[in-house]
Amino acid sequence: MIDRQLVLHINWYMLALVALLFSAGVLNLYSASAFRMGEGTTLNNFYSRQLLWGGAGFLAMFLVMSFDYRHLKVMSWYIYAVSLILLACVFFWGVSIYGAQRWLHLGFLSFQPSELVKLGAMILMAHILSRDEYPLQLRDLLKVLVIIIIPVIMVARQPDLGSALVILFLLAGIVVYHGIDRKLVKVLLVLLPLVAPLFWLMLHDYQKTRLLSFLNPAQDPLGSGYHVIQSQIAVGSGGFWGKGFMEGTQSQLRFLPEKHTDFAFSVFSEEWGFLGALILLLVFCIFLYHVLSSSQQAKDRFGSLLCVGVFFYFFLQIMVNMGMVLGMLPVVGIPMPFISYGGTSALVNFIMVGLVLNVSMRRYMFKS
Amino acid sequence: MSLFQEKSLLRERLGYNFLLFLIVALFCVFAVRLWYLQVYKAEYFFEKAQDNVQRRQLVYAPRGLFLDRDGRLLAVNEPSYSLALVREDTPDIDRTLKQVSRWTNIPLEQIQDEFHRGRTMVRSFEKQVLVSNLSYELLTRVETEVPYWPGVKIMVQPRRKYLQGEVLSHVLGYVAQASEEELRKDPGLRLGDNVGKHGLEFTMEQTLRGTKGLKQLEVDAAGRVLREKILDDPVSGEDVQLSIDLDLQEYIYYQMQGKTGAVVVLDADTGQVRALVSTPGYDNNKFVFGISHSDWRDLVENPHRPLRNRTIQNAYPPGSVFKPVMAALGLEEGFDPKDEIFCRARYRLGNRVFRCWHHHGDVDMHKALVQSCDTYFYKLARKLGVDKMSPFAKNSGLGKHTGINLPHERAGIIPDREWKLRNVGEAWRGGDNLNMVIGQGFVQTTPLQMAVFTAALVNGGTLYRPSLLLKEKKLDPEPLPWQEETLDFIYQAMVDTVENERGTARRLRTRDVEVGGKTGTAQVVRLMPEHAEDDLEAVDYWFRHHGWMISTARKGDENYAVATLVEHGGSGSRAAGPVVKSIYDYLFSPKKVAEEDLP
Repeated sequence: MIDRQLVLHINWYMLALVALLFSAGVLNLYSASAFRMGEGTTLNNFYSRQLLWGGAGFLAMFLVMSFDYRHLKVMSWYIYAVSLILLACVFFWGVSIYGAQRWLHLGFLSFQPSELVKLGAMILMAHILSRDEYPLQLRDLLKVLVIIIIPVIMVARQPDLGSALVILFLLAGIVVYHGIDRKLVKVLLVLLPLVAPLFWLMLHDYQKTRLLSFLNPAQDPLGSGYHVIQSQIAVGSGGFWGKGFMEGTQSQLRFLPEKHTDFAFSVFSEEWGFLGALILLLVFCIFLYHVLSSSQQAKDRFGSLLCVGVFFYFFLQIMVNMGMVLGMLPVVGIPMPFISYGGTSALVNFIMVGLVLNVSMRRYMFKS
Repeated sequence: MSLFQEKSLLRERLGYNFLLFLIVALFCVFAVRLWYLQVYKAEYFFEKAQDNVQRRQLVYAPRGLFLDRDGRLLAVNEPSYSLALVREDTPDIDRTLKQVSRWTNIPLEQIQDEFHRGRTMVRSFEKQVLVSNLSYELLTRVETEVPYWPGVKIMVQPRRKYLQGEVLSHVLGYVAQASEEELRKDPGLRLGDNVGKHGLEFTMEQTLRGTKGLKQLEVDAAGRVLREKILDDPVSGEDVQLSIDLDLQEYIYYQMQGKTGAVVVLDADTGQVRALVSTPGYDNNKFVFGISHSDWRDLVENPHRPLRNRTIQNAYPPGSVFKPVMAALGLEEGFDPKDEIFCRARYRLGNRVFRCWHHHGDVDMHKALVQSCDTYFYKLARKLGVDKMSPFAKNSGLGKHTGINLPHERAGIIPDREWKLRNVGEAWRGGDNLNMVIGQGFVQTTPLQMAVFTAALVNGGTLYRPSLLLKEKKLDPEPLPWQEETLDFIYQAMVDTVENERGTARRLRTRDVEVGGKTGTAQVVRLMPEHAEDDLEAVDYWFRHHGWMISTARKGDENYAVATLVEHGGSGSRAAGPVVKSIYDYLFSPKKVAEEDLP
């Protein structure tokens, strides 16, 4: 069943990078889930749950690697449909956390369909665009736009603005990478700025205040600006060498909100300093480079576009999260891949990596 | 990838380069940002993080106590209990406020007002006092229930307690919460601090206050204190020992019960105040935690003005107690005290008639003082004139601040030509001289001024700045501008006023004590003849004269000076005399002497 050739061609570097990132993430969660109480220290079990999810992720990754990714072409519509149905389920049976319905409870575990939609929509997009290499004409573009807009709006309604934007840009990224007809590009360049203000009207009030407080966090330091300010304090106070593992006062004394999920990278930066954060950033960039290389080595357009999709996925997740943590982008709930706590997200991350590995290990075995 | 066509390949290449650029851009932008935050601004953010975690808290320094001359406690600090609220820990503020109202029987609106008024003044996780000064009975009742109300805390605060209350209210004054203006002016004060507002609490503020300590707390985001470290120990304020004799003070206060007036007893040789009483007093304890609206109204609307310290804040026409000063001026100006005038109980100047209270017949200066003959002084005044009388009176310590260590002292008035022109708008006239010489008209002095002046008569002619502190003696000595013979003559005349059968102060006579005295009556309205005492009750209280008495007492090497004023008490002899007499009976009683002789 397992082809020796295939195993040989696995991109071990990438696997190692992912293992490194995930380990750093779990270690960081161990610290982030601890907090000082009086003289002692109490632990939450986020890191152990993350380990469980990570284990499941690894399994899923190998499962994804085990079959030829071209089978996904056939399955892509179904995956897309199932992920949309799950997403729709959230509206009926979803669980609200912080005023947003994002979770589905499946007995012992809860689960975020919006993460799965990223995967489903990406595979379908890669499939559709891989059918020919010519720039998109109006008819195709409209078709593609419909595929994009449905999950984006559904996710945005949850409301989960961050994920909606990631899906939008992820899919748009693939489309742009594939190419659009020159005339159409010109029309779009005129139309887009006109449509953009409409998005502001679609936003919830709390999303507006978040965006505004991003522009001026000091305006409301205890309210919506609190996250931005405290996160920057955490990162900045880490200094060059960091405060040391489990020594970050911002996280240990709970000044940092959401420190195990959205702001896990703040904890990391506070405790490991500029040096640690820079190394982590570098590892991410090398990882992204490997994903990008895989897209160039792919034996067919579908594989190549899949890798580009995964590239955009990670790129956007890293950029939005890091931008938020470092106070350069508004606060939207996007987790940092492998570093932030999040079951579904971890699972999806590993599946994404699995897709890339799948494409890259089959790069030499092409027949049309 | 060679399977793609040429044109497509170029596009792919472009795309690849673009994505590569994205990676590099991602790295560069965030690397720079990380460098900016963690290296360039690291110190700034490190301090911010420290500010988050470390809180500095001031540690209360006990305020200095007040003691009387024998070391008896006058003002102490005692614990007081308050109900406070920590907003952040209170799940349902409305319900909790309702409960507080139920416990304390204070209307809900009042508690809500207090809550909304104070909420901006406390930081998050700080206790905000809602009801202070809980009674002991209420405390025991609430204490058991408080644990069921998260956010409600019982706070212990030090509270100033004036043990004798109104007896010393005008001497000690009171402390109360510092106003915004005081906070702005004095960097040593913090919101919620008590600060001296009146009396010695006000003037001795810097001595009494002490220095707050500082402790450092390590807190988490919820404000829970994890660690505590004292950085600076608090330094208690210094105790202040007064020259006041508590027994005497209390004794006089109760003698003056029912009367409105002022009594000052000075140790003539040192200028120290032995007793300073102004009645009615007020309970200064009521001010400490904020006086209630109704209590404040009662004090302000009381026609007897209990908040006024009549020894220094009210100036009265001195009446006849001004005469010794004028007689001294006459002697200094070379008048022969043996020269006699004839008193017909009336004196005509132009078309005005000035009255004397009695038909004195032949009167020399001694008799004029002892029997308080006005006619003699009218004649004297015509020869002296305001230009001599006014500076002389001022140099004798009248009409100017004594400089006692109490706030809001009034100077009183010794008029001169310029003063009248400025304040009345008229030129000085001959009749004004006649009014001035008998201490009426525009002349106004405070009881303390009279006491300081009287002390100089018995201590050999030195005006001291009076003080309420035991350690302050013989401050700023200033000689009376009198020759020794003048001083002796006046002193003797005052002693004779007590000893002489016809002296107006004869009721002061005390065994084994050389007592001198001079009565005075300050007219409130002209209608009432000065010494018509018999029908005092028939006159409306507010129209009755003020009675003055200044007096000296000498026994062995003890010299005392007493000034007493009783508002609307009628003549000085009748109104103030018994009070002064009782002071001497008390001061020189064999029992008291026996006590003091004990080792």
